Amino acid sequence: MSLFWIVIRQLAEIEAMATSKKVITKEEWEKKLNDVKIMKEDMNKLVMNFLVTEGYVDAAEKFRMESGTEHIDLATITDRMAVKKAVQCGNVEDAIEKVNDLNPEILDTNPQLFFHLQQQRLIELIRNGKVEEALEFAQEELAPRGEENQSFLEELERTVSLLAFEDVSNCPVGELLDISQRLKTASEVNAAILTSQSHEKDPKLPSLLKMLIWAQNQLDEKAAYPHINDLSTATLEDPAI
Amino acid sequence: MPASASVSSSSSHHRASPDLLVRLGSTDPEVKLRALREVKNQIIGNRTKKLSFLKLGAVPAVAAALDAAQSELLIQSAAALGSFACGFDAGVRAVLDAGAFPNLISLLSYPDDKVVDAGARSLRMIYQSKLAPKYDFLQVENMEFLLSLLSSENEPFTGLGASIIIHSCQTDIEQNTLCHAGVLKKLINLLEGSLSQRDGSLESLATIMKDNPEAASKFVSESGRALSSVIDLTKDRYPRTRLLASMCLIVIRNTSPCHLQDIGIKTKLVYLLLELLDDPGQVGEEASFVFSSLITQKEDLQKLAFKANALDKLHNQLLNYSSHPRRFQGILLVLADLCSNLESCRSKFLSLKALKLVTNALTNDNADVRAAACICLRSVSRSIKNLSAGHFTNEVIVIPLVRLLHDPCTSVQVAALGAIGNIVVDFTTHKSTFVKCGGLKLLVQLSKSMDPTMRLKALWALKNLTFLADNTCKEGILLELTTPLLSSLICDPEASVQVQALALVRNLVDGCINSVEYAFAENDIILDAIGRQLQSASKAEIGIQGMYVLGNIASGNEFHKDAVMHQLIPQVNDGDCSFIVKFLRSNDSQLRTAAIWAIINLTFPSSPGASSRVIKLRNAGIVSQIKTMVNDPSVDVKLRVRTALGQFMAFSDGSA
Repeated sequence: MSLFWIVIRQLAEIEAMATSKKVITKEEWEKKLNDVKIMKEDMNKLVMNFLVTEGYVDAAEKFRMESGTEHIDLATITDRMAVKKAVQCGNVEDAIEKVNDLNPEILDTNPQLFFHLQQQRLIELIRNGKVEEALEFAQEELAPRGEENQSFLEELERTVSLLAFEDVSNCPVGELLDISQRLKTASEVNAAILTSQSHEKDPKLPSLLKMLIWAQNQLDEKAAYPHINDLSTATLEDPAI
Repeated sequence: MPASASVSSSSSHHRASPDLLVRLGSTDPEVKLRALREVKNQIIGNRTKKLSFLKLGAVPAVAAALDAAQSELLIQSAAALGSFACGFDAGVRAVLDAGAFPNLISLLSYPDDKVVDAGARSLRMIYQSKLAPKYDFLQVENMEFLLSLLSSENEPFTGLGASIIIHSCQTDIEQNTLCHAGVLKKLINLLEGSLSQRDGSLESLATIMKDNPEAASKFVSESGRALSSVIDLTKDRYPRTRLLASMCLIVIRNTSPCHLQDIGIKTKLVYLLLELLDDPGQVGEEASFVFSSLITQKEDLQKLAFKANALDKLHNQLLNYSSHPRRFQGILLVLADLCSNLESCRSKFLSLKALKLVTNALTNDNADVRAAACICLRSVSRSIKNLSAGHFTNEVIVIPLVRLLHDPCTSVQVAALGAIGNIVVDFTTHKSTFVKCGGLKLLVQLSKSMDPTMRLKALWALKNLTFLADNTCKEGILLELTTPLLSSLICDPEASVQVQALALVRNLVDGCINSVEYAFAENDIILDAIGRQLQSASKAEIGIQGMYVLGNIASGNEFHKDAVMHQLIPQVNDGDCSFIVKFLRSNDSQLRTAAIWAIINLTFPSSPGASSRVIKLRNAGIVSQIKTMVNDPSVDVKLRVRTALGQFMAFSDGSA
């Protein structure tokens, strides 16, 4: 039986248990779990939701063919993934053009996102040692953002200060040059595109797992029962007595 | 400039190259397309670039591309125009001036979906601005088109439909037309749609139902789900949706007193809005205005908000957001609403030391903030306890307030007048701070304003200034105001101004006996003006104030009493009945009371000329009129009638 089934049944059972306090053996528990009905279609949708939100295009397509679960137009996932990839590779300009082709409203209505993309452009210019260009860019493109919106000024100053350091990788704001910064920006763009397409920007699966852990914590006050402690294996462990 | 077709160009962040306009006008579609994309990609998200391209004259050049037959050109042109219009009024103006509007509309029926979407998006951007052309809902084809937009599966279409409603639906006729055409049903369906559809629908519904009880009822009865769908959306995960949903519910409850009145929903809304105020962005900013609309003039909601510790939260916000003008304005206005009726709120406000923050706002750069600070002060200064304790009459507050009477912005002046009106009622006889810093002079100046609201508020403040003032103060006021001006204000074209002027005179003659003399200054012109206005009084309130003035004067000596008689019963009359008879017959019990009281003072038995005055009153039919009022429905009136009749009896010669 798949781990997924187990997790979901566990969750459903705990919710039912919440009213009585006692000790339940693994045997009893497993018996109760077996009585919980979960629909396969619901699980398939959860999986598809995960694949689509995270952008696993090929996997999503294959899953559709094999399970018959529907999903949104894959072309939009592909477009979105192209944008995300461009940012992750540091091709911010390319990413901006792609976003604008996908939906010109996104950057026009998300000043914070636009600022972060411009900021990333500046970071890439500095990373490539193009100091002159970076200075010009900072003056012409980033400074106006700060003027238009005061809340960007602090971050702007941090980013521009990169230009002041000889050894950029060792300076106080050096983390801006990390790949993690690119990933952060990429994530932000991804979320904005998903929202504009009216999809939830977070997949459902993590919420489900969080709910399980929370529900187990709640039930701990009232009963001793088999826990799932390792989410990746979903093994039922004996109740502590 | 790289000539390759790859759009990634390292120099595209440079200033618009001078040949851009040329390339936009090129007959070569490839060149034109690249130029359009360049403009589009530079301006999206970038207000500064939008402005500079605008100045270059790029908009007409871009709009011209809408004549083309190629999809790609149309898409890029529409997208660029939409971006110019996005949140940027100068851009909207330029797009409309370039004549692009009809061309964008025609894109909506183009065979290529992408073109259609691009057109719809652009139009939606335009409709988010006040500058968009007004949509005439009363024309049948227009309504049909709107309905088709709202029924579409396509998001840009429904978005456009919603923005048209939000922009153009203003009068109740328009609201009713939309309801009768079945728009409500479509909007209710959209409540189950995507994020932008839900938001658009909520805002449209609020627009249609605003101040229109019929529309609100129609919405609620349209479907069993209608109201509950909106209530559910107050729990949505997106803050903006929660805000719009609460706004919608508030519109319904304010417009239609039979819906959403239970304590549950009231509490829910209060807590929701308090939570939304925490949002650091646009949502938090708008939340304060929505909160105002919930609690304004509603004491029960103000109480709930107080219990939910709204004042603590708002005080914190005052500290954190003083440099965000619109937000600051919103917070000040909510505080004004919260403290408008409840002393508990005002006390809490003052105990949190929020007064200093509000006083600082009086000198803010932004006019709206200054006005809001005044409005807030007006509410808080309604606290008689604190007013008497002098918390509002120190220089720290009075001086900046008085300065605002000079403010270049009229709304600030009017708001300042409102606050000053309260503050000068300080129950001490000095009021010197105010007068010393030039406040009196300014009030008098403003009472001569062309703007009737300004005159009214200035006079109101002057009236309050005169309340319980000592003689020195009263003389100072009259000297500054001048008798001729006061008389002309008594005869002001606006009835409400007349009322305040008369009330001012009433305050002037109130007090010690000498005060009565003020009404006789400069050959009785004030008294004559009063007599004249009472002849032609258009509102009961004028009569009430005027009669109290005359009543006060009639409590003076013989000379004073005779002067009042002269006003009541002019020598030359040809059977015209005195205005006082009209007043005695009035439906307004306060007016009847004021009139009788004046008669009582005139016929006070111990005064020497009383008997001759009674005869005159009898001849004018006033005594017989009073006799008919023995069983007046108002207790106040009845008691005074009895007193008056008692006094008449003392002079009776046996005849009726």
